[in-house]
Amino acid sequence: MRGTSLSFSTCGTLTLLAFVSVIFFPWPLTIMLAFTSSFFIPLLPLAIGLFADTLYYTPHSGTLPLFTLYGALAAGVSIFVHRQLRTGIIGR
Amino acid sequence: MKKTFLVKRNGLLSLTDVSWGVFALACAIIVLLVRLIAPGFFWYVFTPVFRVADAVSLEGHSFISGFENAAKLTAQNERLANENTALANENQALAQKIIDIEDLFTSTTAKSGILAGVVARPPESPYDTLVLAAGENAGITLGMEAFGDGGVPLGIVSSVLADFSRVTLFSAPGVTTAGWVGNDGLAITISGAGAGVMNATVSRSAAIAVGDTVFAPGPGMLPIGKVIRIDSNPTAPGVTLRIQPALNLFSVSWVTIRDTGVPFSISATSTP
Repeated sequence: MRGTSLSFSTCGTLTLLAFVSVIFFPWPLTIMLAFTSSFFIPLLPLAIGLFADTLYYTPHSGTLPLFTLYGALAAGVSIFVHRQLRTGIIGR
Repeated sequence: MKKTFLVKRNGLLSLTDVSWGVFALACAIIVLLVRLIAPGFFWYVFTPVFRVADAVSLEGHSFISGFENAAKLTAQNERLANENTALANENQALAQKIIDIEDLFTSTTAKSGILAGVVARPPESPYDTLVLAAGENAGITLGMEAFGDGGVPLGIVSSVLADFSRVTLFSAPGVTTAGWVGNDGLAITISGAGAGVMNATVSRSAAIAVGDTVFAPGPGMLPIGKVIRIDSNPTAPGVTLRIQPALNLFSVSWVTIRDTGVPFSISATSTP
């Protein structure tokens, strides 16, 4: 298991750090970490969003599980960019 | 040469590349399933983790402030300011109770309450919520009101488990509360704006100034915050009050839960 251009251990550390940050760090830092990680691990923002909503989301009127939604959006964009990048390399 | 191209391509993306993401997603889904299937067990597991997070945060703060005396004095000043705010709020609440006849009738219920420790609070918990280490077994039910130091109303219990519960703060988006502002007790509707901030709209002719206290039903009138800014739009008939909570939500460690019987416009659910 390794990320796009990072080593196995670095990607693992990044994944672990992102999960830990949901509990230990303020949420803006978690968002920043998940967003940065998405360059290397596309599905990580979705996982982190799901985890954050699992811990903190309370369903009531007027609120949506925003972390999951934004995580899914970031993951989608990241996967799209990775595919475009791969196509570009193959096309050369 | 061809091999070089393949190595480069694999260097950017390969089937194994997504594995960390899949692994992370699988972990998140497993945690979600545990929460949905066994919510009590879930919070039993995560409460110690939250407590460790609190301890680490506290130690980190002490460690950093130990480097210089100024930082230590700042921390002490912050603590004293918080205590001062709590005492001032308590004083205001007591003064308001004296002039509020209705509060005299309900003073017996005001004394009772359930003390609950806060497991998670903003900014770690988004959505302006508090996770409490007390639930149904301690007598907490949906719709009860949470109070901080000095009897400051903080929010409403919106989710209850056997030993844990969650409080949606008045500053949470979608939460509206009937309240009063100023010395004259002008009735307003307080709306949560997220990130610990509340809004209210009043008529332009109302004599509201920055620094006026905002009250929420408690029993009686209890200070919930202060007007920190007044936004005026020439095209609108009213002005918007920006309200800062009376307590620093980032440092709330204990709350008192009471049933005040006051209805709030938040559709609480029993979903864990």
